[in-house]
Amino acid sequence: MRALVVFLGLRLLRALIALWLVSTVVFVVMRLSGDPTPLLLPPDAPHAEILRLRTELGLDRPLPVQYLAFLASLLRGDFGRSIHFREPAARVVLGYLPATLELGLAAFLLASLIALPVGLLSAVRRNTWIDHVVMTGALVGQAAPTFFLGIVFILVLSLQAGLLPTSGRGEWRHLVLPALTLGAFAMASIARLTRSAVLEVLRADYIRTARAKGVPEALVVIKHTLRNAALPIVTITALQFGTLLGGAVVTETVFSWPGMGRLAVQSIYNRDYPVVQCAVFLSALVFIVLNFCVDLLYGLLDPRARPR
Amino acid sequence: MASSIPAPVPADTLLAIPPAASLRRRGRIPWPVTCGLAFLAALVITAVMAPWVAPYDPVRQSLRARLAPPTLAAGDGRVHLLGTDHLGRDVLSRVIHGGRVSLVVGFAAVVVGGLVGATLGILAGFQGGWIDTVVMTLADAQLAFPFILLAIGIIAVLGPSFPTLVVVIGLSGWVAYTRVLRSQVLVLRTREFVDAIRGLGGSPLRVILGHVLPNVLSSLVVIATLELGRAIVLEATLGFLGLGIQPPTPSWGGMIHEGREYLDSAWWISTFPGLVLMLTSLVVSRTGDWFRDVLDPTLRGE
Amino acid sequence: MSSMTRRRLLERSLALGAAAVLPGVLAGKAVAQTSRRDLTVAQGGDVAKLDPHFSTSSNDIRVSFNIFDNLTSRHPDGKLYPGLATEWKRTAPTTWTFKLRRGVKWHNGDPFTSADAKFSIERTYDPTVKTLVSTALATIDRIEAPDPSSLVIVTKQPDPLLPARLAFYGGQIVPRKYLETVGADAFNAKPVGTGPVRFVSWVKDDKLVLEANADYWGGKTNVDRVVFRAIPDTAPRIAALLKGEVDIITQLPPDHLERVTGNPGTTAKGALYAGLYVLAVNSKRPPLDNPLVKQALSLGIDRATLVKELWRGRGIVPNSMIAKGDNHYDASLPPFVYNPGEARERLKRAGYRNEEIIIEVAEGYLAVTKPASEAIASMLSEIGVNAKVEVIEYSVRAQRIREKAFKGLWWSDPTSTLGDPDGMFWRLLGPGGPQDYWRHPRFDELGQAARFSVDEKFRGEAYREMTKIFLEHLPWIPIVQPYEDYGLQKFVDWTPNPNQQFEVRRFNLKLQRG
Repeated sequence: MRALVVFLGLRLLRALIALWLVSTVVFVVMRLSGDPTPLLLPPDAPHAEILRLRTELGLDRPLPVQYLAFLASLLRGDFGRSIHFREPAARVVLGYLPATLELGLAAFLLASLIALPVGLLSAVRRNTWIDHVVMTGALVGQAAPTFFLGIVFILVLSLQAGLLPTSGRGEWRHLVLPALTLGAFAMASIARLTRSAVLEVLRADYIRTARAKGVPEALVVIKHTLRNAALPIVTITALQFGTLLGGAVVTETVFSWPGMGRLAVQSIYNRDYPVVQCAVFLSALVFIVLNFCVDLLYGLLDPRARPR
Repeated sequence: MASSIPAPVPADTLLAIPPAASLRRRGRIPWPVTCGLAFLAALVITAVMAPWVAPYDPVRQSLRARLAPPTLAAGDGRVHLLGTDHLGRDVLSRVIHGGRVSLVVGFAAVVVGGLVGATLGILAGFQGGWIDTVVMTLADAQLAFPFILLAIGIIAVLGPSFPTLVVVIGLSGWVAYTRVLRSQVLVLRTREFVDAIRGLGGSPLRVILGHVLPNVLSSLVVIATLELGRAIVLEATLGFLGLGIQPPTPSWGGMIHEGREYLDSAWWISTFPGLVLMLTSLVVSRTGDWFRDVLDPTLRGE
Repeated sequence: MSSMTRRRLLERSLALGAAAVLPGVLAGKAVAQTSRRDLTVAQGGDVAKLDPHFSTSSNDIRVSFNIFDNLTSRHPDGKLYPGLATEWKRTAPTTWTFKLRRGVKWHNGDPFTSADAKFSIERTYDPTVKTLVSTALATIDRIEAPDPSSLVIVTKQPDPLLPARLAFYGGQIVPRKYLETVGADAFNAKPVGTGPVRFVSWVKDDKLVLEANADYWGGKTNVDRVVFRAIPDTAPRIAALLKGEVDIITQLPPDHLERVTGNPGTTAKGALYAGLYVLAVNSKRPPLDNPLVKQALSLGIDRATLVKELWRGRGIVPNSMIAKGDNHYDASLPPFVYNPGEARERLKRAGYRNEEIIIEVAEGYLAVTKPASEAIASMLSEIGVNAKVEVIEYSVRAQRIREKAFKGLWWSDPTSTLGDPDGMFWRLLGPGGPQDYWRHPRFDELGQAARFSVDEKFRGEAYREMTKIFLEHLPWIPIVQPYEDYGLQKFVDWTPNPNQQFEVRRFNLKLQRG
């Protein structure tokens, strides 16, 4: 147990350092990307006004000074004021967060709800056309670039068939295509996982035992499949959520979904440092926390995964 | 891609790749993989021979033949098997030349990522101690960072040029190599012969070159292949966001980007490059999977 | 019910029914109708600021000109009409006197007075406020408000165009009391104006909701609510229109016009842009400092084909730096000529040594300019120019404007803010202006004189001479004066404004109701 605590302690330390590194990289890249002031003043504004604005935004101080100030306010939880929106950056980012969470959750739900039964079906009907179709779909889902998948969905299901809205956020119908796109990879992975888990179970001894006992096969299959596949599926989901912001950037851009990913991209173009810093920090934090939880989970549940 | 958890990948796949042992016995390559390799070979050859294979000059505009569907006679009287884009340029030619860009950027990025990652991995494994911790923490940070945003930020600063793209895409994937090399080095480090060689006065570098690299070669091949697929997709994604190789040079992502406005009128502009991209990504990752099964099943989960 | 009343009822309902059907029957085809009382508009970009003095972006202007009124108002027909000012007269060479409308109330109930007008106009050029429109009304020296319904404006020099200046951005009138009470940030979050619609709510990246101001002095708008949404990508924006999810869309590119007009329920309407799309030139950078090179570039561009193929005919080829529809537009001048042979000649005479000439274009900023850049680069290559296209980001463009650091040619869409050359090319190309890369003493002299002259004949002469100088030195290479098209549901009766304003007031917007 003590080894576990030490291990986790070290992981925590590494996580904090990683977080610090992430923040520093964002800081450096954004500061190097240029001045936001031209976007905020008319083209014919006198030079004195530019200087005044830069002072107001704290951009005239030397870079190391700005960096230290940045770190100090980070520790306080203060991400500064958004240059574009003129509101606290944290407030802007948190305002866009629900949309991304909604998308992520929907993607996960859709992925699981479709992949689990489909994987099961595929295993049970192994080597039939159903199996072939599902596995080809899984291949495509894992290899297809997210943005192109989104484009194809828009083209076929929205523009041609007129079934679903093309972009934006509103009612549940707006959620379907983006969630499908974002969840495609996870869906494919979970389907394949489920299929092999079921196949393993079907081959195992307890199936024969169950048959002999007269217990319904389906129940046994499901119970054991879930037991075997649960941890990997949870892992995949946790990882998906961990990389949600980064993963959602493309999907949100394709569908004009007003979430944090799109906000981050727009803010990069607007040179709105505080918002980008806050969004990236939040994303890294979520990733690190989720990873940590998964580490913890495995550490507790699976002795094999513990460090030597 | 957690730091210490093996992500599971099903052993059994539809395309019935036989276990390594039986394969070595039989020495036969399953037909889907052969097809895939043939496709890749064709892709590479077409990319290299692009100026001779492509029917037209990919940057030649023809304003009278804009937005022509796949046809035998467009506004300029020529055959355009995959149609023309919004400037009247032949889509087929652009797809062929775009393959060049994708492959070159992809390979170059893999080389960059591989060199950086392998070096860091060897360093971390060999030296151990705080260097190891630093490298692994860097890896943590890299994975925690929504990389696409970093890519966008950097390219927005430096401009989308070929070297920038190669470096950015290359650096997105160094972690995979580092892990593998590090663990291989760690494994070898405990073997007696390393100490023996040291004892005899041989240099650590010789040890690396002589013993570590040959052992990791197969792993590197697997990772490089999988990374190639990922690099190609990342390059296309950046191109789709408008941050890839700039027009008029054709690139698959860039073409999809340009065709987005015409999705419901001139769908061929986006669709054909996208299909080729998808096929390429599929084949490359499938091939990488097969390499892994054959060469180094222990890599499963990375 | 007695048989008498029942018959009456029947007759009445028959009559009403016939009245509803008859117009359609008489018209010979079905008239698109709706029973809706709200209007949804989809723009190509989200609203960024609601404070009218802090944005000149067309996405914001479309909204702010409806939440707020100006003293004078430019209608889609191009003429100036009374706004918050009912009359105006130049009472002395440098003095304009305005009679203000009585009985106007702000959306929060406060009365509108001349104090508001004075405060609002002074705010635009107040150095402590740092608005984005600080140069719009910079000809003003001081303002007096002798009584609540009159305003006296004294200009630094005789300014015949002042009423036109007040009609455009910078001239939106904001409430003094409310602004001073809540502060600029709160004002931007919850704006209060005198306009035909009042602010209700704004969810970023989602929608902006405005509701009709029932007490508007110009009469209540035909709709109860106006909603602005942003759909940045073209295909989804058009799809939203075709599916009936939105009623009007802006920025309809020429390539997609037919889809909208061919669709049974929708149509397209355009206005000839009050301005030009030009390739502005950094004349400080060789070889662009040589007029012969610039003339060659201009001669090497086949504008007619660009207009025909890329703009699908939705535009005209300009003949100078003055837009059609502006004062002193000279219709007798021929459109810019395409003569590649002559272009090559001039390049040779100029001693052009294959230096790189870069065209910078911002992605998504102006419709059609990106493909046009590539087409132009190709045309220029054909006359032997080493032309390259560079796609830059919008923020980089803003930086380059600020630093005057463009690499060669870049796209600009100078708007004619006053219906007059003074508010168009002179505003931008004049000394100290944002596109000050080239100076010419006679040009500058004429421009200054024309700005402050009240003699239209003199001004006409001045602009004619300036045009000659312009055509020789080409600080801009004008490319096209496009139509800016909008897509509408057929039941929307609305006319677009050439200067990109979006007019929802009663006189311009009506839904055909059934």
